[in-house]
Amino acid sequence: MSVCAGVPLPKPCVLKRMEDSSKEDYKIHSFDMETQKLLKTALKDPGSVDLEKVSSVIVDQSLKDQMFSKEAGRICFTIVQAESKQNGGSVFRRNLLNRLQQEFKAREETRKRSTQEWVCLVSFICNIFDYLKVNNMPMMALVHPVYDCLFRLAQPDALKNEEEVDCLVLQLHRIGEQLEKMNLQRMDELFCLLRDGFLLQDGLSSLGRLLLLEILEFRAGSWMLSETAQKYYYSEVTD
Amino acid sequence: DIFIESLLNFDSEYIWNKGSSRWSQCRKRGADGVVRGSQKEAELTNNTDRKGNRPHRPNSFTTPESEGPVSRIRDWGDEVEFDEMRTNVRRDMQRYRRRILAGEFTQRERKTSSDSKDSRDSPAPGEFETDESVLMRRQKQINYGKNTLAYDRYIKEVPKHLRQPGVHPRTPNKFKKYSRRSWDQQIKLWKVKLHAWDPPTEEGNDLQAIDLGEIMELDFDMEASVDELQYPKTSSSVSSSLPQVSCLNVKILESVDLWICILL
Repeated sequence: MSVCAGVPLPKPCVLKRMEDSSKEDYKIHSFDMETQKLLKTALKDPGSVDLEKVSSVIVDQSLKDQMFSKEAGRICFTIVQAESKQNGGSVFRRNLLNRLQQEFKAREETRKRSTQEWVCLVSFICNIFDYLKVNNMPMMALVHPVYDCLFRLAQPDALKNEEEVDCLVLQLHRIGEQLEKMNLQRMDELFCLLRDGFLLQDGLSSLGRLLLLEILEFRAGSWMLSETAQKYYYSEVTD
Repeated sequence: DIFIESLLNFDSEYIWNKGSSRWSQCRKRGADGVVRGSQKEAELTNNTDRKGNRPHRPNSFTTPESEGPVSRIRDWGDEVEFDEMRTNVRRDMQRYRRRILAGEFTQRERKTSSDSKDSRDSPAPGEFETDESVLMRRQKQINYGKNTLAYDRYIKEVPKHLRQPGVHPRTPNKFKKYSRRSWDQQIKLWKVKLHAWDPPTEEGNDLQAIDLGEIMELDFDMEASVDELQYPKTSSSVSSSLPQVSCLNVKILESVDLWICILL
């Protein structure tokens, strides 16, 4: 039984996200060899490297490399742990966060300059939020900034871009549940915007609408997709 | 008296390092500007931290909306550090509460637990320090002491079960009720004791290893011979109740006699 009058639905990008990243892989292949060496040293012996430089290098790359921006949280967390264990310090974390804060403050200009960089920035901030836990809890300091980014992505001008909608739903899949726990009210407000966008927004591509519908159902199902919904969105449609 | 007063002012600049110099200014003077004596120590509760007559803005404050002390945020790095310290303190508090309820604090432990001159413990369960801003300030001071090579070497050399009271330094218990002055003194003494485990000296590094603030707080009796030359003691009570007198001493000594202080 076909779903939509015989016209196959476009497969959402979400399918790609379901893969598990391997444990040891920090996805640093996109760095040049010298920098890779620096990062590997930072992981093993953080006290011996310039941690400000390391954090700078990581942030710079995250803004350029989409794949890395989605995975950089893990290497950051490992360096933070390694530094803390080695000498009780938090130099890397502080430098990372403050640099991130600078980029966050400049996000509107970044968005104007390059959608790709903006999307990378959001992915990176959310990835850091996901991985850099403090005493097993997400960092309070990032809750509002993350919401600010997501709200920006839910604005009409952003919903028109598939790239931005894709980024938005990716983040909600990964950290939506955690974010909601930290601040329910803002999540409710965000989803009002998404509902409105889905229903009323002109200029939304059909893929854009599909992505929005999926995330609306996802949250309505307590951040899980029912089996039937899973089939609807992620299976190839067969006639 | 004017002389003592000026010493006390001097104290606020030199004695209290790590940004707490302004605290001592309000500790030494009441709201009416009168210098407090040591008899009024009992009045110096931890609540003076949050009184409004401070000359500078607090590092943290509590609003009705906030769950606890909210830091005056400068940047994400600071904010996360603050949150981390706060969750650590809260977790410690849960643990401490459980330990008290489990009756882990025996009479013996209470006797040996205070290295300080102050013996006002709060044995009754439920009577311990719960003010988060106080706990966090104390934790910060403890962290400074623990974040040293000396402490690392100490804990490696002397496992907890081999520690002898009086001989081995013991971290002050941040949950016990102490006056501000008493607590700060305990911290100073603890840090001084820890210096016994400083790494072996090389190339005169020991000058940097010693914190001037601590030298000034050294029990006067140790420096008796030196200061009798430089600054005659007026009474025996001077030594412990007005530690800042030694700061003037050290200033005089600085050029020549610092070595002697360190060695003492």
